[in-house]
Amino acid sequence: MEKARQYETTFIVNASLDDTQVDAVIGRVQDVIVKNGGSASALNKWGRKRLAYSINKKTNGFYVNIEFTGPPPLLAALERSFQLDEMILRFLTIQLDQKALAARAKAAAAAAAPPGPDPAPVPPREPLFKEPAADRKS
Amino acid sequence: MPRKKRTCRFCDAKEVYIDYKDDKRLSRFVTEQGKIIPKRITGTCAKHQRQLVKAIKRARHLAMLPFVSDSIR
Repeated sequence: MEKARQYETTFIVNASLDDTQVDAVIGRVQDVIVKNGGSASALNKWGRKRLAYSINKKTNGFYVNIEFTGPPPLLAALERSFQLDEMILRFLTIQLDQKALAARAKAAAAAAAPPGPDPAPVPPREPLFKEPAADRKS
Repeated sequence: MPRKKRTCRFCDAKEVYIDYKDDKRLSRFVTEQGKIIPKRITGTCAKHQRQLVKAIKRARHLAMLPFVSDSIR
């Protein structure tokens, strides 16, 4: 029997859509997950961010992160739906392995416990590595 | 070139997993041009450098870090 595995997907939605349309796109993604036997556990919308480089001539994107569990065949259907949806610019799906899950459990436990005194703010440091100036040909 | 630190900062913090979504922290391991800094400079151990590089490449795919950035000419 296929066991349900934990996955996480992050995708970028076209930022020029308004909020209801973005929610419609997210709803479609969640429908695909549920229809293929998965269950979404967490949905994080990061909002509009500036892209580090232009994708399809756009400079901003709306980032969404979804954690879900499901059987392995769900992934093929999900990624196919990402490919077909024109409003989704990029996507990345990873399987959460033990290390990732352990880190998450630790973070959840740390957040649940009452936070201790704030650590002293770290002063800004020198950059770790300065590029030699003659590196690039003009 | 002497190492900045003797020990790997991830090993000191006992980190098991380096998240690709944490672009502020990942950007410290990338030069101004966007290139990944070798571990002999940062003092990271090999295991964490491999995880770090994987996380940086994922973040680049999601346009959270640039592949190339021309900041200084």
